[in-house]
Amino acid sequence: MDKPLLEITGLASGYGDVQVLWSIDLDVKDGEIACIVGSNGAGKTTLLRTISGLVQQSRGQILFDGQDITGVGPNKVLQSGIAHVPEGRRLFKGLTVRDNLLLGAYLRHDRVEIQQDLDYIFDLFPILKERATQDATTLSGGEQQMCAIGRGIMSRPKLLMIDELSLGLAPALVDRLADALVEINRRGQTILLVEQDVMAAFELASRAFVIETGRIATSGTTAALSDDPKIQQAYLGI
Amino acid sequence: MDIGQILVNGLVLGALYACLAVGFSLVWGVLNVINMLHGSFIVLGGYLTFFAWHSFGIHPLVSLPFVALLLFGIGYLVQYLFVNKVVTAPVLTTLTLTFGLDMILYNIMTVFFSATPRRVTLDLGTLSFFGITMPVDRLFGMALALALTGLLYYVMRKSRIGRAIVAVRMDRAAATLMGIRVNHIYAITFGVGALMAGAAGAIFAMVFPITTNLTGMYIGKAFVVCVIGGLGSVPGALVGGLALGLIESISGHFFGPQHSLTVGFLVMLFILLVKPTGLVGKRGYE
Ligand SMILES: Nc1ncnc2c1ncn2[C@@H]1O[C@H](COP(=O)(O)OP(=O)(O)OP(=O)(O)O)[C@@H](O)[C@H]1O
Ligand SMILES: [Mg+2]
Repeated sequence: MDKPLLEITGLASGYGDVQVLWSIDLDVKDGEIACIVGSNGAGKTTLLRTISGLVQQSRGQILFDGQDITGVGPNKVLQSGIAHVPEGRRLFKGLTVRDNLLLGAYLRHDRVEIQQDLDYIFDLFPILKERATQDATTLSGGEQQMCAIGRGIMSRPKLLMIDELSLGLAPALVDRLADALVEINRRGQTILLVEQDVMAAFELASRAFVIETGRIATSGTTAALSDDPKIQQAYLGI
Repeated sequence: MDIGQILVNGLVLGALYACLAVGFSLVWGVLNVINMLHGSFIVLGGYLTFFAWHSFGIHPLVSLPFVALLLFGIGYLVQYLFVNKVVTAPVLTTLTLTFGLDMILYNIMTVFFSATPRRVTLDLGTLSFFGITMPVDRLFGMALALALTGLLYYVMRKSRIGRAIVAVRMDRAAATLMGIRVNHIYAITFGVGALMAGAAGAIFAMVFPITTNLTGMYIGKAFVVCVIGGLGSVPGALVGGLALGLIESISGHFFGPQHSLTVGFLVMLFILLVKPTGLVGKRGYE
C-alpha cells in the first residue's frame, strides 16, 4: 500500500477551554472520495477547520503529501495543497462570481493557467458563466454551492474538502452537484466530504469516517458500513 | 458672480475633497478604523512636496509619486505595528490609538516644519472660458485629484489586491481560507489610505497654503464627505466630495464664506437622518 495523501493521528482541538475533538485518527488516499458523517455538533466542521488551520490543534499530528503541516497556519496549508469549501458557502458579498472564483486562485501567479481553470469551472457549471458578472451572493443556493466548489478548485488543490455539500438544497440539485464531484474526481481530484445526509454521502464516497462527540466511532468502506446494522439504524433510517 | 463660476468653483473644490476623503473612507469602511492620523498624513504629504520644491527645485508632479509611496510605507507600518494589535477591538479603541499617534506626528511636524503656511507657487496663470475664470493650477489640481481617485477605483475593482481587500472586509475567516494574510491586507489598506492622503496633500500644496493647523479641518471634511456620499467606497467619496464642494461654493455665495462650513455640516446631519448609508452607499457593499 502506498502512503495516504492525508494522515491524521491523535488530533485534538477545540475553542478556548471547550475541547471538541478527542484523538482523531483519519486518512485520505490519493484519488479517492472519502466522507465524514455524524450528527449535529459532533465536530465535523471543527475537524475541517483544524485541518485547514483556522482552529489551532492542541495535540496530534497532520501529515499531508509527506509533509508535516501541523500548526503551520491557513496560508501554508492551502499552499501545500488543501482547499476548504466552508459550511454555508461563505461567498464574498459585493464581488462578482468571477471575482469570487479568482479569489480561490489568490496564491497563484500563473495567469494563463488560472484562465484555463476558470474556463474549466465554467465548463463544469455553465450557469456560473452566465452569472459571471453578477454579485455572487445573489445566486440561488445551489448556484452558490457550485461557485464555492469552483472557488475551492481554483487553488488547484491536491485535496478538496467540502463541508455540507447538500445543506439546504433540493434533492435534484444535490444529485447535480454529486455528478459534478464524480466528474472532477474522475479527473484525479481527491475529495474529503462532510455530510449530514449520510445516504447521499455513502453514494458518493468509497470510504467513510463516522464521528460522534469528537471521536471517530467507526470507519470503513461505505459498502461495509451500509450493511452495518448499527449504522443503518443510527444514520440511514433503515 | 454668475452661477457658472459658482458651479465650477464647487466642482474644483469637490474633486479635491474627494481625493482628500477617499483614503479615510477606505480605511473606515474596510478596517472599521476612524483614522485620526489622516489629516496629518495630508499635511505631511503637502510639506514634503513643498520642501522638495522649495529646497531642491523638484516639481510637485515629480515628487508626488515618491511622497505618495513614502506615505504608503508609513501607513503600512503604522497599521502593521500598532493598529493591527487592536483592530478587532471596538472602534473607540482604534480611534484613541490613532488619535495618540496623531498627536505625536503633529508635534513632530510642528517642530520640524513650524506652523508657517507654505504653498508651492507654480505660476501657471489663469484660464477664462464662457465668462468663468479659473487659475490653471487649480484646474491642474482637480484633474490630478480625479485621476488619482479614478486610479484607486480601478485598482480596487480590477486587481488581485483590490479583490483581497473587499474579501477581507466581507468575511475575514473565508478570506483566510483563500490564503489571504489578513494582517498584511489590513496594512496595505491603511497604507493605501495614507498614500491617497499624501497625494491629496501634494495636490493641496499646489493650490492652497498648507499648515499643520489644518489637520483637524481636513479630518472634518473627510468625515462629512464620507457621511454624505457613503462610507467605504470610491464612488461614495467622489459623490460626497463633489456634493460638499458644490454645497460650500453655493452656500458661500449666498450666505457668505464664513457660513459655508456650517451649511456643509447641516447637510451632513440631514443626510444622516434621511439616508444614513449616504447618497450612493449600500449597506455592506463595496
Ligand atoms: N466558534 C465556536 N466556539 C465555541 N464552540 C464552538 C464553536 N464552533 C463550534 N463549537 C462547538 O463545537 C462543537 C462541534 O461543532 P461543529 O460545528 O464542529 O459540529 P458539526 O459536526 O459540524 O455540526 P453540524 O452538523 O451542525 O454542522 C459544538 O458543540 C459546537 O457548539
Ligand atoms: Mg458543521
